[in-house]
Amino acid sequence: MNVAVKALKGEEISLSFGGIKVLQGLDVEFRAGEITGLIGPNGAGKTSLFNCLTGAYSPQSGSITYAGDVLDGLSPAARATKGIVRSFQHVALSPDLTVLENVMVGVARNFHAGWVHAFLPTLRARNEQAAMRASAMDALQELGLAKVADKFPTELPPGMQRLVEIARAIVGKPDVLLLDEPAAGLNNSETRDLMRSLKNLAATDLVMVVVEHDMDLVMSICDRIYVLNFGEIVACGSPQQVRNNDDVVRIYLGSDDD
Amino acid sequence: MSDQNIAFESPATKLQQILGGNLTSGMLTFGLVVVLCVLPLFVGGSWMFSLGICFANSIGVLAVSTLVRYGGEVSIGHGFFAAIGAYSVAVLDTRYGLSILVSLPLALTLGVASGVLFAWPSRKLSGIYLAVSTMALALAVPEMINNADGLTGGYEGLYVSQPAIAGIKMSFQRYYAALIVLIAVVYALARLRQSRQGLTLLLSKAHPAAADAFGTRKDWARIVVMGISGGIAALCGAMLGFAGSTVSPSGFTLWASIFLLVGSVVSFYGLTLVRALVGGAFLTLIPQFLSASGAWIPVLYGLALLGVILFGHYLPRIKDRIAERKGGLT
Repeated sequence: MNVAVKALKGEEISLSFGGIKVLQGLDVEFRAGEITGLIGPNGAGKTSLFNCLTGAYSPQSGSITYAGDVLDGLSPAARATKGIVRSFQHVALSPDLTVLENVMVGVARNFHAGWVHAFLPTLRARNEQAAMRASAMDALQELGLAKVADKFPTELPPGMQRLVEIARAIVGKPDVLLLDEPAAGLNNSETRDLMRSLKNLAATDLVMVVVEHDMDLVMSICDRIYVLNFGEIVACGSPQQVRNNDDVVRIYLGSDDD
Repeated sequence: MSDQNIAFESPATKLQQILGGNLTSGMLTFGLVVVLCVLPLFVGGSWMFSLGICFANSIGVLAVSTLVRYGGEVSIGHGFFAAIGAYSVAVLDTRYGLSILVSLPLALTLGVASGVLFAWPSRKLSGIYLAVSTMALALAVPEMINNADGLTGGYEGLYVSQPAIAGIKMSFQRYYAALIVLIAVVYALARLRQSRQGLTLLLSKAHPAAADAFGTRKDWARIVVMGISGGIAALCGAMLGFAGSTVSPSGFTLWASIFLLVGSVVSFYGLTLVRALVGGAFLTLIPQFLSASGAWIPVLYGLALLGVILFGHYLPRIKDRIAERKGGLT
């Protein structure tokens, strides 16, 4: 029996700002159950592609679908309600919220108590907040952050702030998880922990895409890798295929002799 | 941490969450509420009247502070929303004989609706542009009221006389009604801070794109915050009308809006009872204390304003110094 795999697809995606072509007719497919890497030099278009997938940018041409549903024209908020979430290249946490509360925001879209419950101590409000806290705490524990739950982001080192952002992205049990440089600012130990956590997540029915410059991480956890340069796909394949691709070595990875 | 651990918190933790801040400040707030509740037994009618106005102004200060805290924006036009609340109470009282128990919910509804109606076309504005557009509201209010004199009583205004509860002395009603609404607003804002909506609004203020990526649209957040703020300002106006017993255009000029912002600034945009009362006192009680100073009133008021702002600004450093000295002594 042939079971269709859920996938986030982009077909012929083109994006330009003024006369600068950022993405040039990209065809990409990110499948559930896989971790897909997106690598390339700075300015290759990785984050721009993320922004198109999440609705922050509207590509001039092409179409984006998830599990057969066309996403074109949907706002980032509307895509989030469909389970498509992301982390950011530059940490985007609220300094007014504790670490736990920042992560709770990631699961907020799964709850629906109305405004009356926001202002009054109703049972539904209490239950909703308790459930959000429990989910957020689980996500923090998954990433080894439980001990800083009550601190504010500004009290944490940059690497830990990034982990909080990842916790916020995974807490809502997304269907599509787009991580923009999740290991930036992490030390070796934190990166190893992150790799283990991401591998654990990938066991579920989840589309996971990782933009990352840390080649050890990409080669270790990714099932497939797209290599971008000047808004075009240079190569696509398994880590081994990408590593052995001459163009990729020349453009991005460099040879052992370099 | 399990759900049960969270659901069944200790009474101390609950009290802390209800009143906001740490437990010490929570107890302080609770003590303040008790003092304010029994104060009419010890002070005269003029003090009760002034404190009632102070409570009402404190609600207005909270309205502006809510906009700052949750929207990151400043308003110099909240007198407009306060006027809507005040005239809701006064018109229903004078024309239809309805008490504040009926008119207060209407004032809240109209305040929220006005906030949303204003925010919708101005949702893309921010910073100084939004502030100036709110000023347009404040400038228009007195003229609008004067032109609708058939309903509003024009320049002379309206007198609010209906008791909320028959048989209780009006001076007590004016005091306690304003106090109860003030405490209710502080409590509701403390609940909002804990809620899903409150968390997402705060993220939207700091990082709109991040909030958008988690399901909260920036425009929606801006409109909602102005709606909440407008509703609270309308409650302020309603209580100013009830506690002050008269409503006239002179109470809702541009200066009234500016002073609400001043109250918010001296309270450091705090949403707690103590902070709101500090702001309210600056609008009501400080001018009263200085009333015997004649021509020096503006100068002394300015000095008091400057003193409070500087004290608040340096308070964290003073606290740090004290803590360092204590640490050094041990």
